[in-house]
Amino acid sequence: MSIDVMTLRRVSVRAAAILLAISVLSASTVRAHHSFAPYEPNKQIKLAGVVTEFKWTNPHVYIQIDAQESAGGETKRWLIECASTSILNRAGWRFNLIKPGDKITVIVSPLRTGEPAALLKQMLLADGSKYGNGAAAGAATIQ
Amino acid sequence: MVIRGTLVALLALAAAGTSLVAQTTPVHGINGSWEAYPLRGEGFGSGVPPKTAVPPPSAVPQPPLKQPYLDEWQATQARNAELTRKGLPPPSTGMACIPEGMPGMMQVTFPMEILETPGQITIIQEAFTQVRRVYLDAPAIAPQDAEPRFSGHSTGKWEGDTLVVQTVGVKETVRFRNTPHSMNMRISERMRMVNGEIMQNQVTIDDPEYLTKPWTWTWMYKRWPGYKIQEYVCEDNRYFEDPNLRYQRLRVN
Repeated sequence: MSIDVMTLRRVSVRAAAILLAISVLSASTVRAHHSFAPYEPNKQIKLAGVVTEFKWTNPHVYIQIDAQESAGGETKRWLIECASTSILNRAGWRFNLIKPGDKITVIVSPLRTGEPAALLKQMLLADGSKYGNGAAAGAATIQ
Repeated sequence: MVIRGTLVALLALAAAGTSLVAQTTPVHGINGSWEAYPLRGEGFGSGVPPKTAVPPPSAVPQPPLKQPYLDEWQATQARNAELTRKGLPPPSTGMACIPEGMPGMMQVTFPMEILETPGQITIIQEAFTQVRRVYLDAPAIAPQDAEPRFSGHSTGKWEGDTLVVQTVGVKETVRFRNTPHSMNMRISERMRMVNGEIMQNQVTIDDPEYLTKPWTWTWMYKRWPGYKIQEYVCEDNRYFEDPNLRYQRLRVN
């Protein structure tokens, strides 16, 4: 009898956990046009390099940079994903904020696959100004 | 003769003008830009909280689906959660540059604009530049006569301070929170100002083919004075569905 009660309790706890997971998922996923889950959830890196392309487009703005993860490291062409144009305008960006040839530093979360693409957390320009990437992309956790 | 004719024409114009004024729908003060409330943070909204504290609405409840749709929905949600946890999120309409449609377009991370003009309320959602036209005091449209659309077909009327809108004709491929629906689905909305800054929208979905009871919740919006809605054309979509593995991927090069 007591085992049955325990089993029932475990089942209901599991059901509650599943329901909670579903409600949390539905609350978060419906708000973004696509998931940021392909990016490393807890890893951020810093890339310093030169802008090769700045595409002011929707659904996302993209920056391409030839960058190194650390001084003296291998230079790779990285694709940096940003939010949409209107979200960035509201966060203080402008369509002509950067251009090919500009030196920038970005704090990003790379793709989990290891491909050279990443989600922007913060961009640092040569004049020292900093730009975020909207609330859904999250803030920089490293300096 | 010419003078008399001109006078008659002027009088006719004046009369027409008078009747136009008489037909003008009173402005109910919902004109302007709105953002989802509670506010969603920097980069999404004004970030300016309302002057008076307004309790946020409850979360949208789980859809009261009939069987076997409920089991299918729960299995889909569990699968999507598991894929997302692994960093392999399932394909979504947004990923494919397809707009939310109704009712999802009424509460996204982007602001919307409401225009009150005689006989019509126009709602413009910034995301994907989605537009709804609510025809006031117009005959209701039967679902079987409504061409399937993302935003459906909406008619409305003012009941005192509440704008009551009925929507039918939402495409079956439009899946709010992954919930299936029939072409007989009806969406009712009751929009009303809570105070000078906050508007609430009580949404109810009736669809006896799929739902055991009406699915209802409340959304809220905060007025965003002076915000100008921006262009949003989905032109450079780099996400695609991996044909073998059925999850989202980013085209890197």
